Amino acid sequence: MRKWLFFAPLAIFLGVSVFLFTGLFSDPWTRDSALLNRPLPAFDLPDLMQPEQRWNRELLTGEPFLLSVWGVWCPTCKAQLGFMTELKEQGVKVVGLYYPLPVDPAFGDHFSLGQLQRDVQRELAYFGNPYQFNILDENRRLSLDLGVSGSPETFLVDANGKIRMHHVGDINPRVWRQKFEPAFEQLQQVGLAYQGAQP
Amino acid sequence: MIPELGQLALTFSFALSLLLGIVPLYGSYTGNERALMLGKPLALAAALFAGLAFVALAYAFYTDDFTVINVASNSSSVLPWYYKLTATWGSHEGSMVLWVWILTLWTAAVALFSKQLPLLMQGRILGIMGWIGVGFIAFSLFMSNAFERSLPYFPVEGNDLNPLLQDFGMIIHPPLLYMGYVGFAVSFAFAIAALLSGKFDSTWARWARPWTLAAWMFLTLGIMLGSWWAYKELGWGGWWFWDPVENASFMPWLVGTALIHTLAVTEKRGTFKSWTVLLALATFSLSLMGAFLVRSGVLVSVHSFATDPSRGMFLLVFLLIVIGGSLLLYGLRMRSVRSQARYQLFSREVMLWGNNVFMLTATLVVFLGTLLPLFHQELGLGSISIGEPFFDAMFFYLTIPFSLLLGLGPWVRWKQQKWQPLIPPLAMIAVAALIVAVGLMAATQSVQANVALIGLLLGAWVGMSALGEVGQRIRQFGQGLAGIRKLSASHYGMTTAHIGFAVMVIGIAMTTTYSVERDVRMQVGDTVTLSGYEFTLLDLYKLDGPNFGGEAADLKVERDGRFITNLHAEKRFYTIQRTVMTEAAIHARLSRDLYVSLGEALPGDAWSFKVQVKPFVRWIWLGGLLMAIGATWSLLDVRYRRKVLRRAAAPSGDDQSDATKELAHA
Repeated sequence: MRKWLFFAPLAIFLGVSVFLFTGLFSDPWTRDSALLNRPLPAFDLPDLMQPEQRWNRELLTGEPFLLSVWGVWCPTCKAQLGFMTELKEQGVKVVGLYYPLPVDPAFGDHFSLGQLQRDVQRELAYFGNPYQFNILDENRRLSLDLGVSGSPETFLVDANGKIRMHHVGDINPRVWRQKFEPAFEQLQQVGLAYQGAQP
Repeated sequence: MIPELGQLALTFSFALSLLLGIVPLYGSYTGNERALMLGKPLALAAALFAGLAFVALAYAFYTDDFTVINVASNSSSVLPWYYKLTATWGSHEGSMVLWVWILTLWTAAVALFSKQLPLLMQGRILGIMGWIGVGFIAFSLFMSNAFERSLPYFPVEGNDLNPLLQDFGMIIHPPLLYMGYVGFAVSFAFAIAALLSGKFDSTWARWARPWTLAAWMFLTLGIMLGSWWAYKELGWGGWWFWDPVENASFMPWLVGTALIHTLAVTEKRGTFKSWTVLLALATFSLSLMGAFLVRSGVLVSVHSFATDPSRGMFLLVFLLIVIGGSLLLYGLRMRSVRSQARYQLFSREVMLWGNNVFMLTATLVVFLGTLLPLFHQELGLGSISIGEPFFDAMFFYLTIPFSLLLGLGPWVRWKQQKWQPLIPPLAMIAVAALIVAVGLMAATQSVQANVALIGLLLGAWVGMSALGEVGQRIRQFGQGLAGIRKLSASHYGMTTAHIGFAVMVIGIAMTTTYSVERDVRMQVGDTVTLSGYEFTLLDLYKLDGPNFGGEAADLKVERDGRFITNLHAEKRFYTIQRTVMTEAAIHARLSRDLYVSLGEALPGDAWSFKVQVKPFVRWIWLGGLLMAIGATWSLLDVRYRRKVLRRAAAPSGDDQSDATKELAHA
């Protein structure tokens, strides 16, 4: 019995290498957010432009849309505004989740919602406005729940409010064509069927 | 022309390594002395040619030879000359050439400094090193050619070096790390040679010890530099990220630390034999595994290289041959081992066994934390992520019993120790540690029961116990200078490394508990106060560097109206790579770092700033440095330079139990 104990390290190593082998052929960049195929986390957050309007999960369901996490402080987010505006014109619903930079409100020139709205408006007027509306992630709680690690990040959410795809980095024509477009069209058809079945 | 010569030199090195893998091993089986004697010249020649290949590649970088694809994609003509040279190992291909050169250098060092080894043993070790060299040089030559040209169409300007790598820490971090990784190949070769010969007595342990210590010293320095570099360059003041690549270097370090300690047991007491052999195999295996994880793209991290499944496949096959083969050999050969020495439950053997338990538990934690997401994904259970909280919590709980044991361990004698004589000195040290820890805390912060207090207590306990123990040994050896001289260098080395651990524990505990940070918006003239330090923004202006532009900020720091320092922080935009880099402004003192980094431009001529005060953060790296100094000090021990051939016979005594049984007992 003890003789075989000396083969245990070999057995463990061989077991691990099976995983290393299969891991070699799956692309880790597509290894996805843990929320995939789960519903959006629950939230109740104000609209960026009209804070009296509040948004929650239920208000967003009904058709597939892109949830784009962004901020004026993020240069890559600026770069994708143009192309995403084109997408909007093609009929893609894009909802912004605005991630405010953690600026200390107690310090110096006051960080105000009015200032933020002006900055956002100026930027969207200049680069293009793909967003149907923007949700202000006040305390960045929703971003945290979504596991956002950097901006921009984009989630594809289906008509039932389930997250179907997650992308870190900018949305450009190539990413859209290769990654999002097939899935989005499929979801759109499902969504239409879903809406057709509703009334 | 020069790059072709470089490739030719690497090919020669490959051929020489192949000969080195065949000839001395052939000699060791046939008893052909001339074949065995050929090991040394072959090893030296292989190192020479690998060195020439590296120099040729560095020359191509230095002269901006953009016809070489590797140079074109990792350097540019506007890069300062020293970064052009360091760009040589900034890419996967180039770093493999450096890796190979370092491996052949270790092999040559074994050939040069093993005169006291029996010729047979020396031939076996060199042969095994030769085969490892064959594998890595083949990988470099056939799977990741660093000398490939893009003729006839070549770019007139290069792609520039990744700005993250344009830093002094980066110049020496990879070579040191590779020295460590590859150095464990020597311990591995010693263990395999011992397995082949079927003799696992204390001899091989004595020979393998200095090499293991040297490799461990380099790995320690490499990891410390990597941590320091991340702190400086990534711009948010973290010093350890539990990133998969960091973990890949941390695992061989942990097992290597266990190995250093069991080698002592095997050498001095002739026990733990099969266990020590296994640890020597495991240390190098984990180094290889780390290389595989970084270079195959199985795990994603900030410092993984560009991915390519065929490279991963090659490395995996190499891994299977080297690790699988050595573990198979281990399984086949190990049953015949007998241990000789007896020891009681309270003895140094058991203390060192305890060290191993903690080191291996820590390795298991890191291993699972790093690879569990991969296992989970491949089993079709979906993706999970394991982050800092898991590692932090596990290491917090591991450190407490480990530190308590570490304070006790060096006092305990081999074989058996009566506990009564240890009580008075240890009780005194415990009381002194309590006073020092609370005193230090009262002097710097307010006294509270928190992680920092635990860290200070443990640190003071380990540090003062190490000092107390060395003091006691010196007194035993004689009065004053005589005693100091008589104590061995390896004992001083051990004490220094243990104090290094204490210093590091204090640093980590204090930094994690008392660091404060604020993200603020500042315009010129604004002041922010943090921990009593007043940071005033004096000036903001445009930067104009050789390969970057950007923005710079000058700040002034005062405390209680007293001027402390000026700080200069930068946000660089590297024009060729189109990457933004944060150059943090750091004012370092032993008791605290002031850390300011520029965030983003905000509307209205303002910038966001991250301002941090990090107490005791230097202690973390100081601790690592002390550990490396300790290892170097141990290496200076005369014991390792003495001819050991004559007294190589195994210690007497024969006990029926083998190492596994011993472990089960204790």
